[in-house]
Amino acid sequence: MTGFWAQVAVIARTELVRERRAGQVLWITIPFGAIAILLVPIAIGTDAPMLRRIGPGLFWMVVMLFGVLVAVRRSSLDTLPVRDQLALAGVDPAAAYVGRAAAAFVLLLAFEVVVGLAAVLVYDLGSGLLIAPATLLLAAAGLALLGTLAASIVSAGRDGSALVPLLVAPLSVPLLIGATQAHEAFELGRSSLGWVLMMVVTTVVLAIAGVLSAGPLQETG
Amino acid sequence: MTTRTSRSPRWPWVLLAISAAVAVTAAMVVGPDAVQGQLSRILYVHVPSAWLAFTAFGVTMLMSAMYLWKRDLAWDRRAHASAEIGVVFTGLAIGLGMIWAKPTWGVWWTWDARLTLTAIMFFVYLGYLALRRTTDDLEARAKRAAILGVLAVVQVPLVHFSVVWWRTLHQPPTLIKPEGIDMDASMFVTLMVSLAAFTTAYVAMMYKRVELARLEDELLVAERSTDGPVAGAAVSTPSIDGGA
Repeated sequence: MTGFWAQVAVIARTELVRERRAGQVLWITIPFGAIAILLVPIAIGTDAPMLRRIGPGLFWMVVMLFGVLVAVRRSSLDTLPVRDQLALAGVDPAAAYVGRAAAAFVLLLAFEVVVGLAAVLVYDLGSGLLIAPATLLLAAAGLALLGTLAASIVSAGRDGSALVPLLVAPLSVPLLIGATQAHEAFELGRSSLGWVLMMVVTTVVLAIAGVLSAGPLQETG
Repeated sequence: MTTRTSRSPRWPWVLLAISAAVAVTAAMVVGPDAVQGQLSRILYVHVPSAWLAFTAFGVTMLMSAMYLWKRDLAWDRRAHASAEIGVVFTGLAIGLGMIWAKPTWGVWWTWDARLTLTAIMFFVYLGYLALRRTTDDLEARAKRAAILGVLAVVQVPLVHFSVVWWRTLHQPPTLIKPEGIDMDASMFVTLMVSLAAFTTAYVAMMYKRVELARLEDELLVAERSTDGPVAGAAVSTPSIDGGA
């Protein structure tokens, strides 16, 4: 079998090809997130200044809650036969984890851009939401790593996919706080470095946890 | 799987009865707070509950790490027991905090960093317990739960330091802070007695819950190994005399 990063690239590419064929994120998750952005004003009122004020927070909440669905998409189910096949092919479990997370990262980034655009247009937000690439990239990376790890932990169990959001939502709090506070600091012209660093640390911790646990999780069957 | 027939000891329960009696008496006898009056007595249950929740989740992390290292199910049972107790005491700490908050702050709940993060920690460990119910395979369950048990502990320092990192309505640390203890001596002693009683309760519950978890695991293994018809009751083994 080839080297670690070559395996990562193959796994990520395979995941993205499977997703392109299934279209679950493109045709279900992204529209679902956009609908959520539209539904909120119907529930809480259509006062434009209020929506401008709370819009960025709502956007990040939708990303954190609905973005989990990217990790539990049907085209990426980590079933026992899939694991056995990867193990027999000599794929490093850590490479499989990183590859899956990389594919989820790409899909989450697409999710963020489309839903963010909807939020900017519907809530009349400034373009600050979409021109802070560090926050968008780190949120997508952190959520992809966390979601992929949670999906690996619960895979092959009863009610597995239903449990992933319960595991991911509370653990994504550092990412949510970091993203919202960094955006607010950006809008107010203050330094958002501290919040961005918090997101970097969270992402690195999740990456280490995912890579270290990939081996033991593959053994569980 | 390791099979042991030993029962959990009785001494923690005896110690708990004594320490609980002393703690309840002390909490009733100590004078009320100059500002909060009788309401301050909730402190002697709320603070130990929160302390026990943090301790229990810390122990869950340690036991989970030990399981990942040693791969002995006994460590997993300890992690499970500690997480269950931690969830109960987190719920108790939140509930008691709300009872205290209504007359003090005028609301049952406020969007304070400490409160919100404690509630989130509660859900993280509910997720841990839910995860354990997704499979009957002891090894798989232990491994998955251990990984989450190690990862989830990140919530504990977040909750503890939330009152330092953010300007919150919840008061900052009174006991664990560099400037020393900021509390009346009699109240401090009463709180320490209560902390000791709650810690004893934790030890007693841990012994019992670990014993129960071991029995549950043994039952699961016994149920699996019970000899039954290979292809169900519809198919029977042919016999030499031609009978069914």
